Amino acid sequence: MMEQTQKTDVIVTEGVTKVYTADGIPVNALNGIDLTIQSGEFTALVGPSGSGKTTFLNIISGLDNPTAGKVWLAGKILSEMGGNELSDFRRDNIGFIFQAYNLIPVLTVEENIEYIMLLAGVPKAERHERVLAMLEVVGLRGVADRTPTQLSGGQQQRVAIARAMVSEPAIILADEPTANLDSKTGADLLEMMRHLNGETGMTFIFSTHDPMVMENAQRLITLRDGQIDSDKAK
Amino acid sequence: MILKIAFRNIFRQKRRTILTALAMIVGFTLLSLTIGLSDGAYGGIIEMFTRNRTGHIQVHRAGYLDKPSLYETIDGYAAIGETIQGTAGVDAWTPRVYAAGLGSVGEKSTAVQIIGVDVAREIQATRFNNKVVEGRVLGEAASHEAVIGKGLAKVLSAKVGREIVVFSQGADGSLANDMYKIVGIAESGDDPTDRTACYLHIEDAQELFVLPGRAHEIVVIVSKINQVDKVRNAFEAKFNNSPLDVAPWQVIAKSFYRAMKADQQGDAIARWVIMLIVAIGVLNTVLMSVLERTREYGVLKAVGTKPTQIFWLVICEVVVIALGSICVGALLGIFVNYVLSIYGITYPEEITYGGMKFKTLYAEVNIRCLIIPAITVLLSAAVVSLFPAIKAARIMPAKAMRTH
Ligand SMILES: Nc1ncnc2c1ncn2[C@@H]1O[C@H](COP(=O)(O)OP(=O)(O)OP(=O)(O)O)[C@@H](O)[C@H]1O
Ligand SMILES: [Mg+2]
Repeated sequence: MMEQTQKTDVIVTEGVTKVYTADGIPVNALNGIDLTIQSGEFTALVGPSGSGKTTFLNIISGLDNPTAGKVWLAGKILSEMGGNELSDFRRDNIGFIFQAYNLIPVLTVEENIEYIMLLAGVPKAERHERVLAMLEVVGLRGVADRTPTQLSGGQQQRVAIARAMVSEPAIILADEPTANLDSKTGADLLEMMRHLNGETGMTFIFSTHDPMVMENAQRLITLRDGQIDSDKAK
Repeated sequence: MILKIAFRNIFRQKRRTILTALAMIVGFTLLSLTIGLSDGAYGGIIEMFTRNRTGHIQVHRAGYLDKPSLYETIDGYAAIGETIQGTAGVDAWTPRVYAAGLGSVGEKSTAVQIIGVDVAREIQATRFNNKVVEGRVLGEAASHEAVIGKGLAKVLSAKVGREIVVFSQGADGSLANDMYKIVGIAESGDDPTDRTACYLHIEDAQELFVLPGRAHEIVVIVSKINQVDKVRNAFEAKFNNSPLDVAPWQVIAKSFYRAMKADQQGDAIARWVIMLIVAIGVLNTVLMSVLERTREYGVLKAVGTKPTQIFWLVICEVVVIALGSICVGALLGIFVNYVLSIYGITYPEEITYGGMKFKTLYAEVNIRCLIIPAITVLLSAAVVSLFPAIKAARIMPAKAMRTH
């Protein structure tokens, strides 16, 4: 590991609580999470289904609002940002890999991947180059012009990963990134992420049920019923 | 990129696009047709009114219109008529002599309005022959004949073949009286006129009132009613140094013109109703599409698309569909209106409006049939998509992506 760079706290949460009200019945998805994630971490978020992993990732990336508590992302309080500001902030700082890959169906693979760079105003030639390089990394050479519906689930997941990483954000949040991949592809991907983490100091936070991912993580946070059950560094 | 996504969405969701477009196209065409028919109807009424009664433009000696008098004449009207006929856009002209008098048939007498007409010209310009409902029209040469209004015939109990004696005063102060053979009875469609009208040949009238070569009025018919202003301006330039006054039908028939205007406002209500129906149809499909694609908007937002960009994405989609629909609607609208401007719609029963009878309703093809529906469709689409667009822009990504 290249740990010579100064570590900063990229994500800090304080008493983050989330209560969903589905059909009038309140569900406590998160019960006061206090957590600090430092830059360059490679952290796995584990716990049984329904323990609040997705909810937590959504909240720290600003995709959802906490019912109570505060989130600092790269030093800024998320709840104090306006809609357009938050969008720009997310675009520039966070790559999110969703549990269901969530590609934009009307865009081709290349367009899906370059979309964020396009929003950020990266010139066309550079976009194209980076998309091709990224497709190479995720092992999807030659599918750039297809649309998501013409890909398998695993391929779509890899496109989603490429999309999240292509703009080299400081933080990658991944919700079960290997869940839809065969073990070989999953291992390749994990290898790639570790590599990126080591090379560029990108911060990675995963939620996962995959033992292989857990094994590779430096820090393992276990959630249970919306609370931190254990927090182990390896 | 937003535009690109908008276009692709339009082509991907063909069914919904077609549905939205259909609502807009039907709305456009309906609106276009309403306007075409309404304009056509008013055009017909105005054409009928001006053709049969006032003409499109009238020329008098200045001041005559305000205070008609036997002495305010147009001298040498034949030469002026030549000038009028020589103006571009003029279809026909006809001179008239007007004078008041007392008419008697047998024992009965009443006030009459004598109208001296140039029979040949009057037939050509205002279809004078069509107004004669009994007997025949005046002969083309002056021969002491009279055609009287239907109402007047009733008042005087006069029949075709009897004689009417007219008493009045000539322009030289002499007593004017003469006897004319009633050859026909006329119905102009305007009852007050028909109660007093006594038509004589213009030369008979000139002789009776001692007005040789003079007339009180020249009625002008233009070939196209929308050219009235142009022709009028041409006249005004030509009659610049003469004591003549040129008045278009809007001035001559002020109350008729105002009634037409007011009536046309009434049609606006029908337009609003159609607009509302179109707007509701569009709102429905746009809302549906936004709801269907909540998830996609969530993803777009999650990867950093600004709410304002999402807002424009929705608006763009609708506006693009609206523009396409307007093009199709315009073609359809022109086609339908054109067909109806030639074949028309026949009323089940003759319609009477202000004493004029109509058998067929013809549509009109004009720019209003395109502009008004186009603006309506575009505006209502934009306004109506505001709400779904705001909704889409405000979507919370986490929540949106949970919906499948
Ligand atoms: N939008 C929602 N409305 C109501 N309840 C919700 C909503 N989202 C999540 N929950 C509930 O909140 C709790 C936490 O859900 P969450 O999706 O965060 O779990 P998870 O750890 O990601 O589970 P999994 O491993 O199955 O992905 C669950 O009990 C879930 O039913
Ligand atoms: Mg989950």
